[in-house]
Amino acid sequence: MNEKVLEKLASLMQGTIPEKIDLESDDAGADRKLGETVNQLIDFMQEIHAFIVPLSRGELHGIRIQSRNFLASPFKELHSRLLHLAWQATRVAKGDYEQRVDFMGDFSEAFNSMIISLEQNEKALKNKIVELEKALAHITKLEGILPICSNCKKIRLEGADPKVQGSWIPIESYLRARTEAQFSHGICPECVKKLYSEFMD
Amino acid sequence: MFNEERKKTAFQWKDLGDIQAGRPNLGLTVPVLAYRLLQYTLRDVLISEVGIDRANEIFIKSGRLAGAQFCRNILNRELGFHEFIAQLQRVLKEQTIGILRIEEADMEHMRFTLTVAEDLDCSGLPFTDEVVCHYDEGFIAGIFETYTGKPFSVREIDCWASGERVCRFDARQVTIDR
Repeated sequence: MNEKVLEKLASLMQGTIPEKIDLESDDAGADRKLGETVNQLIDFMQEIHAFIVPLSRGELHGIRIQSRNFLASPFKELHSRLLHLAWQATRVAKGDYEQRVDFMGDFSEAFNSMIISLEQNEKALKNKIVELEKALAHITKLEGILPICSNCKKIRLEGADPKVQGSWIPIESYLRARTEAQFSHGICPECVKKLYSEFMD
Repeated sequence: MFNEERKKTAFQWKDLGDIQAGRPNLGLTVPVLAYRLLQYTLRDVLISEVGIDRANEIFIKSGRLAGAQFCRNILNRELGFHEFIAQLQRVLKEQTIGILRIEEADMEHMRFTLTVAEDLDCSGLPFTDEVVCHYDEGFIAGIFETYTGKPFSVREIDCWASGERVCRFDARQVTIDR
């Protein structure tokens, strides 16, 4: 029996799950209890192996250690925490920045910083959008064909009767009402010559 | 008030008294030891007097009453579900009751898997292949019921005492067939 036990233990230590000891064989005898214990250990290790391999591939659902396998406790705890992190990540993906990961060491720190950064970035982007929308609201786009008097350069208001004088407004008034532009008034050299030639040397 | 006969529970939050005024020197908190001493001696006596099933029922019922009052008096019930969960997690941590973590949430069927680590009732107990957090089952049910206004069933599926190192609960809204 001792040889069989050593063989099974060596196999476990090499990372392979051995066949269980055949307790019905003749040499089981007085060491049956030892054989049963080793077989239970093999069961536990088999169960852990079947659990941890998919977990290491990131498969969090559909794996479970059913029996009261105390050896597997830390792996179950790890599984539980990974499930929680996956749920948290799902919530963050949906824009829920209220969640925090507590007491999970480096994970908590990294995850919580990520949530805070995402929230701050989103807030900054939203603020920027609001600013841009406000700016956009102040800018009136001028496009299309403007009807303009070829002599006095007044603009005819859209849809207004061209035969009524009130339909025509100075170009300064037109642009001031539709843009942020302001006007200062001066006279160009050509007009000075035309209007005030008597004052010129 | 505390010694009146009654057929229905009558606990109110104000029955807890003004702890701040009553314990100006010793403060608001006590060691977990004191809580467990009460919990496990009470459990022991209840089991010996009324049997395991009845004792567990009493713990669940008491927990439910506590959860409902806790929700009503400590938590903001106006929040949306996920905000409410974040709040619950924060408050349970602040009150050093336990570390709440949601593993799965099926909002369509109102079914949740959640864990409570470093649980007040059981963390550190010897492994005995049993689940023991009946009070927690009731407590969580009471919170969910008070928040949603719907009946909830909460069952502990893993426990520190059963060797899981964490308490895992399955909480689901109970559908009442009419």
